[in-house]
Amino acid sequence: MVVDRSPRLDLVFHALAHPARRAIIRQLSGGERNLSELAAPLKMTFPAATKHVRVLEGARLVRRRVVGRQHLCRLDAAPLKEATSWTEQFRKNWEVRFEALDSLLDEMKSEEQPRTRRP
Amino acid sequence: MNPTKEMQLSTPTDTTIVITRSFDAPSRLVWAAMFTPDKMRRWMLPPPGFTITTLECDPRVGGGLELAWKSEEADPAMTLRGVFTEVVLHERIVHTETMALGTGQVIGSLVEKHEFVEQGGVTTMRITQTYASKEARDGAIASGMDQGMEACYKQLDTVLTQ
Repeated sequence: MVVDRSPRLDLVFHALAHPARRAIIRQLSGGERNLSELAAPLKMTFPAATKHVRVLEGARLVRRRVVGRQHLCRLDAAPLKEATSWTEQFRKNWEVRFEALDSLLDEMKSEEQPRTRRP
Repeated sequence: MNPTKEMQLSTPTDTTIVITRSFDAPSRLVWAAMFTPDKMRRWMLPPPGFTITTLECDPRVGGGLELAWKSEEADPAMTLRGVFTEVVLHERIVHTETMALGTGQVIGSLVEKHEFVEQGGVTTMRITQTYASKEARDGAIASGMDQGMEACYKQLDTVLTQ
């Protein structure tokens, strides 16, 4: 009953929590990039950018391969989809409650109608 | 009869979740539905195999909120306890909330604020949940924290696919 898929998802949410990492994901959605290409638009030092890429790797959002002296990164969107569906689940949980509230409120309104002048 | 009721879910800060939803009823009725125990039982649907054993709600400053569920394995299997800290009748209400397993192990704590705005017989309810940390907030979204709701949704899924 206890949901234990969350540790991995926590990594995904943590990875997405930083604007620089979201920027990296956006860049990578355009295709494979090397680390220098990723670091440049972020106005970040190379080691700082590398650190962010490592966080993304840890969440399995980014795969890195080394070709010669180049570190090429590409996006793996699968964990993103999983995270989105869990947000969706949270939303649906509330929707179910609210639909139950709708019918309850309809009943409550019709119960009190004879006593009020509300049209 | 059925105006735009689509709920809005947002995370305006690192530690909050805001849920907004409109109801086709005056605010005093939405308030009563949200905070009167026999009404709460109607929408706090227990997960499959779970039964609500305790549901107490005293929406006054200092008043308590107490829920317990039992399952075949445990009684209680899960508890929720809180205290109301701010109450403006039919407008605004704030309570603390701690969910725990039957063993006493705390699953999560948060502060929940409900705000009601009535316009033309339609009430918009805004729920703001504030967690202790960003990790707690993200964990709540990721795991559906409120396991009861998660299971409740699964239950509906089962019904819908039959």
